[in-house]
This record gives sequence, structure tokens and C-alpha cells, in this order.
Amino acid sequence: MSVLQTASIGLQKRFGRQRLRKILLGSIPFVVLLVMWQMNTAMEWLPPVYIPPIASIWEAIYTLSEGCADAGAVLSMQYECLFTNHILSSLGRVGLSLVIGIPSGIALGVLAGMSRRFAHALEPVGVFANAISGIAWVPLAIVWFGTGWLTTLFILLNTVFWLIFFNTLLGVRGVPRVYENSVMTMGGGRWAIISQVYIPGALPSIVTGVRMSMGFGWRALIAAEMIGGDSGLGFMIFVSAAEYKIEEVFLGVLVIAIMWMITDRLLLIPLEKWTIQRWGMVWRPD
Amino acid sequence: MPAKLVVDRLSHHYPDEYTGEDVHALDQVSLSVEDGEFSAVVGPSGCGKTTLLNILAGLLPHTEGSVQVDGREVQGPGPDRGVVFQEHAILPWRTVARNIGHGLEIQRLPRREREQKVQEFIDLVGLSGFEERYPHELSGGMKQRCALARTLCANPVVMLMDEPFAAVDAQTRITLQEELNRIAIATRKTILFITHNVDEAAFLGDRCFIFSRRPGKLKATVKINVPREQRIWKDLLSEKAYTDPRDEILRLVREEVFDDEE
Ligand SMILES: Nc1ncnc2c1ncn2[C@@H]1O[C@H](COP(=O)(O)OP(=O)(O)OP(=O)(O)O)[C@@H](O)[C@H]1O
Ligand SMILES: [Mg+2]
Repeated sequence: MSVLQTASIGLQKRFGRQRLRKILLGSIPFVVLLVMWQMNTAMEWLPPVYIPPIASIWEAIYTLSEGCADAGAVLSMQYECLFTNHILSSLGRVGLSLVIGIPSGIALGVLAGMSRRFAHALEPVGVFANAISGIAWVPLAIVWFGTGWLTTLFILLNTVFWLIFFNTLLGVRGVPRVYENSVMTMGGGRWAIISQVYIPGALPSIVTGVRMSMGFGWRALIAAEMIGGDSGLGFMIFVSAAEYKIEEVFLGVLVIAIMWMITDRLLLIPLEKWTIQRWGMVWRPD
Repeated sequence: MPAKLVVDRLSHHYPDEYTGEDVHALDQVSLSVEDGEFSAVVGPSGCGKTTLLNILAGLLPHTEGSVQVDGREVQGPGPDRGVVFQEHAILPWRTVARNIGHGLEIQRLPRREREQKVQEFIDLVGLSGFEERYPHELSGGMKQRCALARTLCANPVVMLMDEPFAAVDAQTRITLQEELNRIAIATRKTILFITHNVDEAAFLGDRCFIFSRRPGKLKATVKINVPREQRIWKDLLSEKAYTDPRDEILRLVREEVFDDEE
């Protein structure tokens, strides 16, 4: 047996045939793109001002981190560590908006889902706010908070909160009444019903809300950073473009996409798998 | 000693928001169930059986007539009245064991005692080996056993059961009926059991209440004088003490159905 065959069988055993096939198929478009990109550099179809060579993007990381001493410097966000600073400040805002937005969105969503009065009070303003959520707020936010992290956080929270709120609300309303009744006949009070019926019952919808808010949130964040930020990946792209550092623009875009894929694959999909799929609450095609 | 469960001249109307016409579901129903008695309720579909059960459970407020459990007027749901619902009502996000122990969890029984009790009831309904499964991994009959064990495990004073075996196949139903009879012997609980099935009512009930078509009125009461210990399907089928009241119930139910067709 050749080395290649042995390696292939080893991989199949490790990941499983189906999954391996899925990964391979999914990576084909990326490989094609990379090959085309590299060929462009070699054949000089389009000049590097438009499409920089792959290697220069790699170099941009070094340029942007010049003077950055070590991991300690990265974590303490010293001024020299430009590249990681931009990533960390974008990530930090996403994290902060989730830490604030998820609990408050769920809390108010549950309240509105279980109480007609709350729903009547909150739904119209929610629809109103949702209509202008995203980057439409940016000019106003700049007037209110100036350029900087408060503006971008505001934009992000505005997206995250309302999506989670509405998804929780709909999720709670969709929980079959009989579950609530059965807990009540066992002597369960309001809190038992909220924590043992409404929240787990609404979880499929809440997870959808979190996924949506991450997707929309990322986009809104990048846009907000471009216009109203003073750090972050969106800001980096914008400044680099203005200075014609095309490789830094490419780098920023790539990092955004990769970070989104990592959160989706490593965080959100496993979360779904261990909760709502385990409980048999989602429809699975295979 | 007063009866465990007393319903006195109970009527119920559902308002209809769209047509403005009320649905008259129950009309002047009076009945009582003694302590430790197994009562069956039969009647045509839509005659208000579930409505009666929901009122007894305290899930539906009543406005006309009175409903008492243990001498106290029903004012809301409570752990003294356990319910097995018509639909599957065990929580999909809890394992079998956690579903069955749910009532005890709400009652804040210490973990060790709770687990011991749960195991006891898992064995009783024959779900051993499925403790850590989720409801979607169970068959319809197993789900219903899980629901039954959940209600039993919470140790209510009165059990209210709404067609619990309607959705399972004939073979499973027979097993579940005999199991429920065993449980009734072992626990001596006061039970109100709703069913469509005349054989089931006569097999399980000490007394059977027959309801008329909507608006549901109590049409007749039939006693079944078969000792619990003798209630085993293969012995009972030719037993006059069983077949006579069963035929009587069947006749009474039929009247309602044929009235319908005229
Ligand atoms: N929430 C409700 N709102 C309005 N009408 C209702 C409601 N629930 C039940 N009804 C009506 O009240 C009547 C009695 O319903 P109920 O569910 O008590 O019947 P049932 O005897 O349990 O029937 P089945 O044997 O089919 O379960 C029916 O005509 C039904 O349409
Ligand atoms: Mg019913």
C-alpha cells in the first residue's frame, strides 16, 4: 500500500467517510479560487493594485504587527499590535453585545411571549426599531456618541437585541399549551414554567435568533466601524483602502469571513446539536 | 366520610369571539367520586369530557356550579390533582427519568429520595433501561407510560386521566389497562378516567358515568361489581358481572350516537 492510501484510510477512520466527503466537497470552490488567484499573480492578468499576490497578504500580517513583542503584548493590546488589536476590538464588541443582548432579549421576549399586556406594549416599538435597525442608525449614533466604540456597540446591540427578542417571543408563543398545563398541575409556579417550559420550548427559535443576530450583527458591525468607528476590522479595511494598501483590505475581509465561519461551525452548530437536535425538536433531512 | 370529588350542578359555556355564539359544553352536571374509587366517564366526542377534566384540574375556571376536591372548592391547579393529558404532555427536553421526577423536583424532594422514587415508578411502568432517553426516542405507548409514571410519582390525591390510551395500538392498550388496574390496586388512588372505549370503561371502572351529546349532561350511571383482583382480560370476557354492565353502557352510548343521525 502506498503512503497516500494509508493516509487516506487513516483519515477516513478518524473523521468518518460521510464527513470527510462533505469537507472535501465543501473545500473545492475554495481551492479553485486559490488556484485562480495564484495563477493571476503568475500570469499577471490583473495588476497587484487590484488583486494582490497571496504572499503579500501574509506579509501584511507582519507589517501590521511590526513591533508587537509577544503574546503578552497582544493580550494587553499594546499599540504596536495593530492587527490583533483590530480583531480583538471587533470581537470584544461582538462578545459584549451578545452578553448584554442575549439575556435581555430573552428576558423581555419571554415576558412579551407570556403576557398579552407586555406584548402589546413592546411589539410596535420592536417593529419600528427593527425597520431602522442596522446601519441606518449610524449617522444618528455618531451625533449621539461620537465616533468610537459606543457608536459601534449601539449599532450592534440594536441588531442583536431585537432579533433575539422577536425570536424568543415567537418561540414562547409556539410552545404547546399542554406543557405549561402539565407543569401547573404538578404544582409548578410561574418561575418553574418560565425556566422549565418557556425557555427550553423556545430554544429552537432562540438559537435561530442568535444565529441570525450573529450574521446580521457582524455585517452591521463592520459597516458601523467603517463609518463611525475608531478601531476594529471594518475600520482597518476602510483606512487601508484610503491608503491604497490593497493587501490589508484583502486581509481584513478574509479575517472577517474566517471568524464568522469559526463561530458558526464551532459554537452555534454544536449548540444546536446538543440541545434541540438531542430533544428531537428540529426536522433533519438525513 | 364525604366523597373525594364532588361536582355540583356544573355548567360551562365557551365564548366565541368570532360568531358571538357561545358553545354550551356542560349542562348542570352533578356527580361524585368516593375515596379510592375508580370512575370512568364515557360520552360522544365533543360532549365536554375534556372540559370537565380541565375544570377539575383547575386549568379552566368555572363560573356556574361548584367543584370540590377533598371538601375544598377548586380554585386553580395544584399537586393534589394529577393529570394525564389527552395529548402527549411529557416535556421533549427532559429525559424519561427527569420527566418522571419532575413533580418531586417541583416539590423540592432531596435528590437521593427523588431518584429512588423515580426508579421505583420506572420499573412499575416497565421503562427500565430507558431512563436517559428523550421522549422522541420512545414509542407512543412508552410515552404514555412515561406520562402515567410522571403523574403517579408526584403522588397526587386524585388522578384525572383523559383518554390516555386512545393513541396506542390494541395490544399495548390491553397491557396498559391491566397495568393501570394493578397500579389502582397497589395505590388505592381516587381516579377519574375519561375514555371513548366502552370495554375499557367497564374493565377499569367501579362506576361509569355516561354523558349525553353536547351540551354534556350526565345521562346515566352504571356500577361494575367486579373485584379489582379479578380484572384480567382473558378471564373477564365471558364473566356476566363484566359483560352485563358493559352491554348496558354500550346501549346507553349507542342511543346518543343514533340520536345524532336522525
Ligand atoms: N377552548 C375552547 N374554546 C371554544 N370551544 C371549545 C374549547 N374547548 C372545547 N370547546 C368546545 O366544547 C365542546 C366540548 O369539548 P371537549 O374538548 O370538552 O370535548 P370532549 O368530550 O373531550 O371530546 P373528545 O372526546 O373528542 O375529546 C366541543 O364542542 C368543543 O368544540
Ligand atoms: Mg377530549
